[in-house]
Amino acid sequence: MPVSDVTEVTTSKLEITLRAPEHFSVTGFTVLELLMTSKLNFRVYWPMFVLIFYVLSPIPTFISRRLSDDSESSNACRELAYFLTTGIVVSSFGLPIVLARTNTIKWGACGLVMTGNAVIFLTILGFFIVFGGGDDWSWEQW
Amino acid sequence: MVFVREHEPTVRRLRTDGFLFMSGFLDGIRCGDCECNVDWGERRNTIASIAAGVLFFTGWWIIIDAAVKYPAQDEFHHAYHTCGVIATVAFLMINAVSNGQVRGDSYSEGCMGQTGARVWLFIGFMLAFGSLIASMWILFGGFVVPQKPTVYPGIAVFFQNGFGVQVWSYRGSLALYTLLSILYETVCFSGYSLYI
Repeated sequence: MPVSDVTEVTTSKLEITLRAPEHFSVTGFTVLELLMTSKLNFRVYWPMFVLIFYVLSPIPTFISRRLSDDSESSNACRELAYFLTTGIVVSSFGLPIVLARTNTIKWGACGLVMTGNAVIFLTILGFFIVFGGGDDWSWEQW
Repeated sequence: MVFVREHEPTVRRLRTDGFLFMSGFLDGIRCGDCECNVDWGERRNTIASIAAGVLFFTGWWIIIDAAVKYPAQDEFHHAYHTCGVIATVAFLMINAVSNGQVRGDSYSEGCMGQTGARVWLFIGFMLAFGSLIASMWILFGGFVVPQKPTVYPGIAVFFQNGFGVQVWSYRGSLALYTLLSILYETVCFSGYSLYI
């Protein structure tokens, strides 16, 4: 049977963009599930504060990419953004540890929260690698 | 909502020969074609800024942990926090000035000129090393010598300042900086073990 070549013109990243909402929903559900497990089993709600860190973490990178025109040369703004983002990530890991050490939450809940942290930060990192930060987003209905 | 990236389209050919449709799915992977061939100068800056962020904020979380565990004044005197705050201020001062402004070959002169930049940097370094020495003093004078039962707050102050001293504006060579950091951490840990 002859191989039929179907020539398709497509953007190389379009499939990933089309699936981005699914990726995010899957990740979001995973994270929320982990956090919810920690709450429903242990019935404390302090770990919800790490959600603030999740929301804050991509903001410095977005701001620095918006402010700087050249994306490849090293500039102080980008490094400051990396510094602050690293700080936010470290804080999101540090908060459960401090809470667990004072026995506000149990160590099991701390472990669950840190797993959720790892998942969500890897997702955000993957988002930045794949999309490159989305300098030239254009909102189009496909 | 779909995000569409402005990209020149790449032509992709689909093979539609029956159940072997997945054969050759690894053809798309081209080794060595990744775009991470930035030169190591930029990589060094990125890695150094990330490492500095990790160390700096870890130091702060250590002191937060100590403050939460020992809230009493006689276990952890609240004035000891000053050390870490001054170290943070010094860190920000040092990193606010770039090498170019100190050498005088940057485009703009800045508010104070080259001499002002040097004075600023000098004050920043003085504050940084002063807070580092103060943290050692706090550890030994406030916790070790009086033989307090809980020495962890002193260690915490010491580590916070040690971590805060990491200067990530690349004034010296990275190798020298790494060597100094390793030496410094060795001193920290040996001091702690001597106390034990």
